[in-house]
Amino acid sequence: MTASTTTVQRLNVPWRTVAGLTAALVFAYLVLLNASGSFASEQFINALTTGALYALIALGYTMVYGIIELINFAHGEVFMCGSFVSWAMITKVLLLNGTVRDPLLLVGALVVVFLAAMLIMGTVGVIIERFAYRPLRNAPRLAPLITAIGVSFILQNIIFVSISNSIVTVPKLIPFDDLNFGLFSIKEINLFVIVVAVLLMVALQLFTTRTRIGTAMRSTALDREAAQLMGVDINRTIAITFFIGAALAGAAGVVQTQYLGDTVFNIGFQAGLFAFTAAVLGGIGNTTGAAVGGFVIGFLQVISAAYGFGRWSEAIIFTTLILVLIFRPTGILGQQLAERA
Amino acid sequence: MLHRAAVALGAAALIAATAACGGGGTGSGTAVEIGIELPMTGGEAPNGVPTANGVLLALDKVAHAGFDITVAQKDDAVNGKHDPQTGAANIDALANDSKVLFVVGPYNSNVAQAEIPHSNAAGLMQCSPANTNPGLTKTWGGVDPTTLRPTNPTKIAYVRVATTDDLQGAAGADIAYNIVGARMAYVADDSETYGKGIADVFASTFTALGGTVVKREGIPGTTTDFTSYITALKGMTGLDYVYYGGVTTSGLGTFRNQMASQGLANIPLGGGDGIVDGSAATASSFLNVAGADGDVNTYGTVAGPHDISSDASPSQTTFAADYKAKFSTDPGSYSAAAYACTQAFIQALLAAPAADKSDLAKLREDVRAYVADPSHSYVTALGKFNFDAAGDTSQKIVSYYKFDSGEWKFVQQRDFSANPMP
Repeated sequence: MTASTTTVQRLNVPWRTVAGLTAALVFAYLVLLNASGSFASEQFINALTTGALYALIALGYTMVYGIIELINFAHGEVFMCGSFVSWAMITKVLLLNGTVRDPLLLVGALVVVFLAAMLIMGTVGVIIERFAYRPLRNAPRLAPLITAIGVSFILQNIIFVSISNSIVTVPKLIPFDDLNFGLFSIKEINLFVIVVAVLLMVALQLFTTRTRIGTAMRSTALDREAAQLMGVDINRTIAITFFIGAALAGAAGVVQTQYLGDTVFNIGFQAGLFAFTAAVLGGIGNTTGAAVGGFVIGFLQVISAAYGFGRWSEAIIFTTLILVLIFRPTGILGQQLAERA
Repeated sequence: MLHRAAVALGAAALIAATAACGGGGTGSGTAVEIGIELPMTGGEAPNGVPTANGVLLALDKVAHAGFDITVAQKDDAVNGKHDPQTGAANIDALANDSKVLFVVGPYNSNVAQAEIPHSNAAGLMQCSPANTNPGLTKTWGGVDPTTLRPTNPTKIAYVRVATTDDLQGAAGADIAYNIVGARMAYVADDSETYGKGIADVFASTFTALGGTVVKREGIPGTTTDFTSYITALKGMTGLDYVYYGGVTTSGLGTFRNQMASQGLANIPLGGGDGIVDGSAATASSFLNVAGADGDVNTYGTVAGPHDISSDASPSQTTFAADYKAKFSTDPGSYSAAAYACTQAFIQALLAAPAADKSDLAKLREDVRAYVADPSHSYVTALGKFNFDAAGDTSQKIVSYYKFDSGEWKFVQQRDFSANPMP
């Protein structure tokens, strides 16, 4: 790698990656076609939707790891809290109790819920960084890792004690009606989840590559001391990274409640584990990789269910992770950190 | 009204917490304790609390002259979900308290699996109001139940008043085939002891009746997104029934909710007692999570009688009225069963030789031996029954329920000893 490409995201289109991903998607579709026949496109969309959810969460893991080399185990719980912000906004603030058919009202409600979840969780992320991780920034690596686990217990227990210790239902605002596009049809909710996830990911890419703060983030990830010498406010940059990662997890929380219809205080662990796996699978520290990893896990889950191996889905996912790490230790798209050397 | 209910519940909790003395007209006598080992918190509260209340009511109503019985309450729910390791530790704690002579519980079969070796080693009789997995008492899936009793293989220290899943699963198939008229079923389970057991029996009975099992699969109990499983259902031509072995906390309500969102609410869904956990208004219950669209066409079973036989004591009406008077709410699915367990305990306690009253260890063994003896029968809130040599109740009745306007409505009950499945 030359110095000019040592950025979190390249500006030129990586055609080889695009071709590889397209081939992988076609292959996944054929695998699904074999198991599900005429329902293959529906399963394909299910996989994209699940994958989008994991990808949104995985971005937060990978961004934080990229900038301070911390596996933020509390991130899954931030996602869980986001789903509860969504619940609170919908049932306590907007007082909605079912599908919203009026398009204007629906868009308005969703904007409010997303903004609330992203702002609140982003702020929570900054607070976590300020009080739990910043004091330990120069401590041995094990210390912030244990702190992260502690923070995840704190978040879980706050929800457990203050809101509910069991499943909480959330009204699904977005209709589950089919939209027909001739060749295939897609439910409004699936289209919504995929579009939201892709928009947020594109926005993140543009932010990190085209803005001053994004440049500061990338330079901090590359070499914190050099960035500081060049006048980058390290504390502020790291705080912004946490804000963005946590805001994306908050958005994923809203997606969770809208797509699946309920939430519970302990979903963060499982979702966080899968999202972390996605980040590692794609190449930790690499934002495109995290997104790719999220979709890979989504496809693995749906394919195992389509073939009747649902009970084995977790085993299949982690076996894939092990195989990828054996043959490509830096993940599918490569670890950006390797470029530091 | 709500306020009164809250006060009553608070009072019930207080009674349990402070282990205030029981009624039955006794204020003095040998001080002994009855353990209650149930999941009391989180999503399990709708299961555990009304069941524990059954014990409290029995201590109030059933005479036990000469004994002052107080309650030692344990909770096996961790983070809102029943936990086998916690259950086993609870049994150890109860066994180490010499005053505890008998335990009512647990609620969940996998908790019982962890607990039985401990109660067996301690010689402490436990009576489960709700365990339905057959393997706890009889050979099941090729596994001998004596493996659960390594310390004293011949000494029974676990009995239950609920009937077993081989009957509940069969009852589920009876509903699907004979009441709904289904012929093609998809059978899933949540990969837990209870769910897999009940679903296996459903599948074999449904096939024996003449139905076809289109697909039999296990889904991890941690699943929250069932969409891909539900899409797969759409590809099964002629599918007219879904049977899911599992409980609400392992995602059954969510599964049904998502089935409805995917437009499959017209396919009936059946389950066991794991989903008969309260009305649609009860937070976190199956009907609550499944949502109004998902509730329709759902069926459930309870491993015990709904209409109590005429030889029940107290009678069904008296029991329900007493329960409502004390707790300001209707009894739960297993309240009467917990009451019956307590009645068996009191009967055994009163039958103990007077000389043993001063020796709690002897008294504990007296109670255990009495209840384990198949020749003793009990007249209880569930009717008259005895425990067989394995610890199972002689009552083989399963109640059928169907969703109807926000509630589980009783359909019918089947006595499998008088009226076995083909």
